[in-house]
Amino acid sequence: MEFAWTDDQIDFRRRVRQALDELLPGDWDEAYVSESYASDKQVDFSRHFCAALAERGLLTPHWPKEYGGADCPDWYHFILGEEMKAAGEPRGSQYMNVNWIGPTLLKYGTEEQKARHVAGIAGGTVIWCQGFSEPDAGTDLAALRTRAERDGDHYVVNGSKIWTSYARRADWCFLLVRTGPGRKDVSILLVPMDTPGISVTSFPGLIKDGHLNEVFFTDVRVPVANRLGEEGQAWGIVTHALAFERVGVPRYHTGLDALDRAVEQLRAEGRWDGDPIVRHRAGLLVARFEAARMLTYLVVDQRVRGEPPNSDANLSRIVALEAVGDMMNFLADYLPDCLAGGDRLLEDYYRINIPAGITGGTNEIQLDLVARGGLGLPRG
Amino acid sequence: MDFHLSEDQQALVDAVQAILRDHADLPQAERLSYAWHDPALQALLAENGFLDAARSMGPLEAALVAFETARSLRSIEAMGSGLVAPMALPDRMVEGPVALAAERDLGRAIRNLTVARTLLVDCGEDSIVLPVDPGAVEQVASILGYPYGRFARAPDPASGQRIAGGGALLRQWWRTGIATEIAGAARAAIDFTIDHVTQRQVFGRAVGSFQAVQHRLVQRHGHARSTCYLAMRAAWSARAGDADIAVCHALLGIQPLLFDLHQFNGGMGVTTEHSLHFWTYRIRALQAEAGGLAGAALDIADRRWPAVEGANG
Repeated sequence: MEFAWTDDQIDFRRRVRQALDELLPGDWDEAYVSESYASDKQVDFSRHFCAALAERGLLTPHWPKEYGGADCPDWYHFILGEEMKAAGEPRGSQYMNVNWIGPTLLKYGTEEQKARHVAGIAGGTVIWCQGFSEPDAGTDLAALRTRAERDGDHYVVNGSKIWTSYARRADWCFLLVRTGPGRKDVSILLVPMDTPGISVTSFPGLIKDGHLNEVFFTDVRVPVANRLGEEGQAWGIVTHALAFERVGVPRYHTGLDALDRAVEQLRAEGRWDGDPIVRHRAGLLVARFEAARMLTYLVVDQRVRGEPPNSDANLSRIVALEAVGDMMNFLADYLPDCLAGGDRLLEDYYRINIPAGITGGTNEIQLDLVARGGLGLPRG
Repeated sequence: MDFHLSEDQQALVDAVQAILRDHADLPQAERLSYAWHDPALQALLAENGFLDAARSMGPLEAALVAFETARSLRSIEAMGSGLVAPMALPDRMVEGPVALAAERDLGRAIRNLTVARTLLVDCGEDSIVLPVDPGAVEQVASILGYPYGRFARAPDPASGQRIAGGGALLRQWWRTGIATEIAGAARAAIDFTIDHVTQRQVFGRAVGSFQAVQHRLVQRHGHARSTCYLAMRAAWSARAGDADIAVCHALLGIQPLLFDLHQFNGGMGVTTEHSLHFWTYRIRALQAEAGGLAGAALDIADRRWPAVEGANG
């Protein structure tokens, strides 16, 4: 057991920071980050930025060389994620591409599917969205109703998806559809978003622009060749994909950055150095975020070793979420004006984390999974 | 970054666990006690070199030993003699067991004082090494899970060996030790509780099948597991900042941990025959030491955001 970065990893982090220095515009924080990473402006920027990262070998370092990667252990991908999050996620939606959509295609895709999609993801030029949740199927994904009925060498898709971040700008959708009557008769289709019959409606919400969309599918024809895996195999694939997704966001990193910014502001307002209570609260937050960091690193270490996914991924998310909740509470206690135009970056941190306990599987589901898979507690 | 034990570390842990397994049960006469320190087990661990791991292998290995001993029902003094003393006093050997106290607390009941041969005193800037005369210590009855003693007459700090500038290093390793012991005791208490709620039936089903119980146990498990790795990181890095973070996180989870574990063990959890208290009241005992939660949290803040000259507020 040891907790040091290797020299190569330190050098890789330095290269990533250097790339960020060179590639981000001077007004990045003010003009882009404050718009949220699902905004049109950031999504557009991400195509240019990710392509430039790819040229430097910094977009998919953990992928196999034959698919545009560098065969680096997952630690490199994770270092990349930490630095990108700290910078306001200039990859925009493409963090999903490299975190789980690409790796899932590499594991389960046909050679034709890999040939069609992987180069675009590794080149940083394609936007994907995730078509999972529906108006009546969020946490209980098996209740989904969007149907795909076979018609020759096509499926005909009807239904709707909701909460689909980036849907208005996406080129492709990683779509879950019902292909049979049983709860688990669910399949995955890779659907071009410009297919006739697809329409997207955005709606306002507490989180920032670009995240809350509903996607309608009306007699959308999708070639059978676009199905990922066999019919009815979606659960195994999605479980694999979500195991990547659950440790994909280094929340401790963004949380500590937000805390640093909050302290800077409190200090500038003369509300820090003489107030042991606020310093005490901030100290507790650092400890909470560092605890989340440890469990996240534990899961990455397990992945690097090739261990099968286990409930530690769920546990790391639970611990991170507790820290995020405390951080949001800290902002509301000490800097409420950050939600009233006082600091757009802190407001963005707050707003982007409002659904943190819901996205990617609710916190309650994570707790259930650890209770049974990690602690071996009996079913009710 | 490697969260797995090396071969040497695994061998060390296996060997400690083997000894502790042979001493897993309490003697009949001690089964209803609040705490039981086993001098023979203490001596066995010392004679076999397990309490020298800090010097022979390193502080992380000493922390692994302290983590394992904290899981035992028997109270073993591994934190002071195995981790804190060798790391806070790298150039001198002291006789164990070792008790730890802040200077202002010398007149109070002190954890492990009845079994200690040396007391390390945190005086703020400095530290003091005080030999303990067993004849000068009175036993104190306590529900806390360690042997407690009080000096019949508060010792004169001048009678000890003062380590100029040694206070910070002593607090750092004391905090690392507290986080380690809490992590170990919490792990054991959670395992014990999982066993109980799996067996115990209410309303025709296991207590542990209720979601209200499951979710809170998972949260306590998350706290214990992350505390363990924070403590091991603090031991490995030997950085004061990591020690502050580890102990702060350990302490901020104590209240929900103790409440939930006793709650889930029901009425049995407040009896001494049920064993839960051996771990939970050890955790409670550690709560105020080395500056407690507030001291650690403020140190974290002051280290991350140092005071700026001329700042107001």
